[in-house]
Amino acid sequence: MTPAEIAAQRLRTPWAFGLNRRTLAIRWGIGLLAVVYLIYLHWLFEFGKVFSGLERLWVIVRLMVDWTGFAGWDHAELLQSMLETVAMAYLGSMLALLISFPLGFLGARNIIPARVFRFFARRMFDGMRGLDQLIWALVFVRAVGLGPIAGILAICVADTGVLSKLFAEAIENTDRKQVEGITSTGASFIGALRFGVLPQVLPVMISQTLYQIESNSREATILGLVGAGGIGLRLSERIQINAWDQVAYVIVLILITVALIDNLSRALRLRLIGIPSHR
Amino acid sequence: MLELVQLSRRFGDKLAVAGANLTFARGEMVGIIGRSGAGKSTLLRLINRLIEPSDGRVIADGTDVTALRGRELRAWRARTAMIFQQFNLVNRLDVLTNVLCGRLYHMSTARVLFKVFTPAERAMAVHVLDRLGITDIAMNRADALSGGQQQRVAIARALMQEPAMILADEPIASLDPMNAKIVMDALLDINQREGITVLTNLHTLDTARTYCQRIIGMSAGLIVFDGKPEALTDAVLRSIYGQSGDGQAVDEQLTSTSLPMLARPAVAR
Repeated sequence: MTPAEIAAQRLRTPWAFGLNRRTLAIRWGIGLLAVVYLIYLHWLFEFGKVFSGLERLWVIVRLMVDWTGFAGWDHAELLQSMLETVAMAYLGSMLALLISFPLGFLGARNIIPARVFRFFARRMFDGMRGLDQLIWALVFVRAVGLGPIAGILAICVADTGVLSKLFAEAIENTDRKQVEGITSTGASFIGALRFGVLPQVLPVMISQTLYQIESNSREATILGLVGAGGIGLRLSERIQINAWDQVAYVIVLILITVALIDNLSRALRLRLIGIPSHR
Repeated sequence: MLELVQLSRRFGDKLAVAGANLTFARGEMVGIIGRSGAGKSTLLRLINRLIEPSDGRVIADGTDVTALRGRELRAWRARTAMIFQQFNLVNRLDVLTNVLCGRLYHMSTARVLFKVFTPAERAMAVHVLDRLGITDIAMNRADALSGGQQQRVAIARALMQEPAMILADEPIASLDPMNAKIVMDALLDINQREGITVLTNLHTLDTARTYCQRIIGMSAGLIVFDGKPEALTDAVLRSIYGQSGDGQAVDEQLTSTSLPMLARPAVAR
């Protein structure tokens, strides 16, 4: 193609040749201005403080890697607290699963067509989900006292909100044709739910519950900070007395536990749901 | 005997089926043809009560089907098995369980909830799978199968219902010609051996001519033809499929997806 032909084509169908130089220059100009503005905003917030704090941070890091007192630490207490945190996450999630299973069906449009009922079910899920676990933990520590029970209840309530909503949405997204196939055989409503809907949503339910257990084992460490039991309490104690070597140890413990649970949950998910077969 | 009396269904301001009056004798094999949107699917679903009629009645052996409720309605659905264009199997269940679902009407709620099938039901399922030549895939998941295999599983599920009638909604529209023939042959075999009435929507004219003793033509919700395949003249076809722009009659090859050599069993000659 000669340049003349290209020019003629450009004249005929300018939209096929991308943006012209001026538009491009304006867009880049706006982008650059935005970046400069963002940097200026950080300047306002005294970004420099990060650098002056570096020295103290360095001291903490040095203390963290010095594990010479390892033999003297209270390992029994720490490991037990770690297990307590995992147990809280597990029990809280399982309890939430038991409650969410029926609630999910009640919140799904294709199961309960009554709009008023569904509205209240959904707002209830939102309410439970809207408050963070930490807030629920504060509430339950006041109600049932310090300890892991408060943590379990906090996880359960927050997770019921999350799981019920996810279950309801999974149920609403089921393939109507598969359910129609079951209904057409003369199956009852229960039969259509059991054989038409449940097989479709079960993988989502299993997967979501496993994910909640994973994510709760991470987040449950924080619940200890407000007295809801578990490793979090031990962590905050040690930060307060500047025992940075033990803080590092607890963090390593948490990381190992979370990694273990992640792997366990991945293996379980694969085993329960299976690798989807392809045609 | 099945009678449709002034059967109608309205979706919004569109009449999908407009006052259908039809009678079907036991053991007939009937093809329903027409353009997409002519109301063929709606007609079949009205018979099975997957869709409620806006007007008119369905009467089976003197019983008003349109008045049935609850368990009686489910008994009717179990008696009139349905086969779908998209197979409508439960993807994540294996073939055997899908086929066993054909017995759900006969099972107690407790057995349904806990998925308990009796040895007799299982034996029956294997027997039906054997008949359709798909026993070897019984433990495969439904979504791992080809379209032709899935449709045979759907037929097996229908047979498990021990139906008096099979309603097939475009059973071969999603299949290649080879599988289309296998599926149509299976339906014909069920019709001839068990004397089960078969009503089937078809979009390929030559399939309808080949397999059905009676053809019903629908256009814009109306029954515009009801008779033997031989009576389908060009003029009739124009009334069913509409006139093409240049006034030419519908070319049968254009509505065909079959392999000419494979599609004609001995019955038709």
